[in-house]
Amino acid sequence: MRILLEKFTKSFGSLTVIDEMDLEIDDGEMVALLGPSGCGKSTTLFAICGIHRVSGGRILFGDRDVSSVPSQQRNVGVVFQSYALYPHLTVAQNIGFPLMIRKESNADIARKVDEIAELVHIGNLLERRPAQLSGGQQQRVALARALVRKPDVLLLDEPLANLDAKLRLEMRSEIRRIQRETGITAVLVTHDQVEAMSMCDRIAIMNEGRIVQIAEPMEMYDNPASDFVAGFLGNPPIAFVDGVVTNGRFATASGAMTVSLPFNAGERERKIRLGIRPEFFRPGGTQPVAGKITFVEAQGRETLYDVALEDGQILRSIQTATNAATVGEKVNWGIDVERILMFDEDGARL
Amino acid sequence: MLRASPDGEAMSGSRILGLLLLAPAFVFVVLFFLAPVVLTAVFALTNMSTATGITGGAYQVTQSAMRELGERHGEQALADALARVRYTVDPAGIDAATAEGASTALVSELDRKLAGESFDSRRELERAIKALDNRPRGTRALKSLSALFERSIVNTRFATEEEFFGAVAGLGIELNATQRAALLATTYTGWTWTSENFSRMFSLPDTKRTFLNTIIYVFATLIVFNTGFALVLSIVTHYMPDRPAGIFRAIWLLPRISPPVLYVLLWKWLAWDTGFLSRILVPLGFESRNWMLDNPTNAWVFIVLINGFVGASMGMLIFSAAIKSIPVSLFYASEVDGANRWQQVRYVILPQLRWPILFITCYQSLSLLTSFEYILLATEGGPGGATKVWALAAYLTALNNYAGNLEYGYGAALALVLVVVGVILSLAYLRLFDFKSLVAPPPIEQ
Ligand SMILES: Nc1ncnc2c1ncn2[C@@H]1O[C@H](COP(=O)(O)OP(=O)(O)OP(=O)(O)O)[C@@H](O)[C@H]1O
Ligand SMILES: [Mg+2]
Repeated sequence: MRILLEKFTKSFGSLTVIDEMDLEIDDGEMVALLGPSGCGKSTTLFAICGIHRVSGGRILFGDRDVSSVPSQQRNVGVVFQSYALYPHLTVAQNIGFPLMIRKESNADIARKVDEIAELVHIGNLLERRPAQLSGGQQQRVALARALVRKPDVLLLDEPLANLDAKLRLEMRSEIRRIQRETGITAVLVTHDQVEAMSMCDRIAIMNEGRIVQIAEPMEMYDNPASDFVAGFLGNPPIAFVDGVVTNGRFATASGAMTVSLPFNAGERERKIRLGIRPEFFRPGGTQPVAGKITFVEAQGRETLYDVALEDGQILRSIQTATNAATVGEKVNWGIDVERILMFDEDGARL
Repeated sequence: MLRASPDGEAMSGSRILGLLLLAPAFVFVVLFFLAPVVLTAVFALTNMSTATGITGGAYQVTQSAMRELGERHGEQALADALARVRYTVDPAGIDAATAEGASTALVSELDRKLAGESFDSRRELERAIKALDNRPRGTRALKSLSALFERSIVNTRFATEEEFFGAVAGLGIELNATQRAALLATTYTGWTWTSENFSRMFSLPDTKRTFLNTIIYVFATLIVFNTGFALVLSIVTHYMPDRPAGIFRAIWLLPRISPPVLYVLLWKWLAWDTGFLSRILVPLGFESRNWMLDNPTNAWVFIVLINGFVGASMGMLIFSAAIKSIPVSLFYASEVDGANRWQQVRYVILPQLRWPILFITCYQSLSLLTSFEYILLATEGGPGGATKVWALAAYLTALNNYAGNLEYGYGAALALVLVVVGVILSLAYLRLFDFKSLVAPPPIEQ
């Protein structure tokens, strides 16, 4: 089922949280809403499932305008951030709740609950109550409850936020597998970029109530539309260096770093900002830059370094854990200039 | 929690300190909670009343005592003998004659010839006096003299047993052992130990009526208002916007915080023959009447309303708080799961309110059982005892009787029944709530 938001606006009283957002999600596609806390991700999700009324614009499921359809009739499955399991019901009753509300026969409910419980691997927990489950198990129950009535749309609000690293990894692929198997249209809200990149067909990055860019994960990683997007994707994050460019040559104000850029930034002297991802600043890079190591973080297979330029601006570097550089050491690593991202004063990509 | 400490001395020191700190609480508990119960139990085993007083009594031959002596002890002859008036020439009478101004000659002759003599009737005494040498002149003088020797123990109070038996002997009545016992039992005016209160309670038809009234009162008020209506109010206000919901709740708190006398007066004014209801209904062709006391059904409706409007507020507050504490995401989840309002109430709210509902039911049943102030103010148990509940009956019997004879003993026996029922219910409820902590299993960690 295709989802279409047309000039969707949401305000609480006088505070406009989302202003004229347009978003199209194709049938069977999984899209991530990624953005900092408070940018309006949950608000968008709640509008899609009908918990919040839209203040303006339209929401379409397929060709049907559902803007004023109550959430009871939208047939949307939602996994809430807090799971929102009914504490007084068993796992089986929780999963079967939407079917029970629809007054399906007990036999049907039992069969469907068993099926979906198998799918999310909780078949052995059906008689427990939510309080007797671990976080990951609760999360799967919530997922099963959202899926059991074959919803047209699946909405996931930070479903993995409460899980430990290992379980998070497991559930990522599991949710993606189920979404693929069922062919359901899904929206995943998250502020974890790894989650968004690994699980979704496309990512919509939001900031302050608007979508700043929507694209496929790698496309967005390689071609961010703004420094905000570039800063949001990538772990460890991209480093920015401010300076001026004249005739294709970039220099910071103090002259601590100068590089010649391979692309034409115009004749005129102008302020720009360079974005350098950690993997493109390393020993053996094309254009050397001098700095001093201020921070070393061993991550096992790789090591992360912070390198301070003379004027205090920081570059980051990630390297396989063979280099034995230590804090305080002066280094002269190089930048792969072809991979530098360039932004204008307002942050727009050049 | 107190931990066992390896240092025994410090342990006993802290224990003594703990006991010291608890001592005032202990004194208050004994004084204000335990003592009334014990006293009630003690009173319940006596026949104390206004007539007996609550201190000791005296011995007195009264009309009712003599009737009882005849009817209950089969001593009619003795009763008649005691009740009879006699004329005895005793030193007291002779002294009285002197004081009345009888001549010394007459007095000394009386003393000499008639002292100690006893006559069954006045005529016989007067005949004997007339036979004296110094007899008084004139019928008037004779009459006033003979009156001085009239002797009866009827209605005379004797402080001690000896005095009483002395007086009886003075009447020339010989008593055997059973007669003495019967006489003491019937003429004693103070209170005595007895279990009669209870046998009386179980035999009186009034008791059954009062018992049924109490059940109607407690359950009707509890189910309709204290739990039922409170639930409706809390659920309705839950679905209202915050501000009107707050105002609405505040309105329902008003009866609770208004002075009971004024509050009930408003209801009475509503129901009076010339009150608000009549003002509206009379023009519609209804007869003017006191709507509250017109018939038992009306009285009950009013009693339940009056108590219910007051009682609903507590449940409303508790339930509202409990609903507030349900995570809002559960409401969201049930909405997207397709539940309409009613299904939300049925499947999300009510199951979460199970313990608050049970708590309110238990707590309010106890407080309703012992409360009667609104009934007292509104109907005084009327019409014709139709709304007299147990606690009110105890109060009226022991402390505020129309007849004026306050039966402390019987009233205490009635109250004791309430205490016993209350204690049994409390224990049952406590078990029920403790049970809760037993049935909630600890979460199983993976
Ligand atoms: N019911 C509400 N009334 C008023 N303001 C609200 C309400 N709900 C959300 N907001 C505001 O709307 C903005 C967006 O909130 P939203 O919950 O959508 O953020 P989010 O992107 O989901 O953030 P997070 O990642 O922290 O969950 C926030 O500034 C929040 O304060
Ligand atoms: Mg959110």
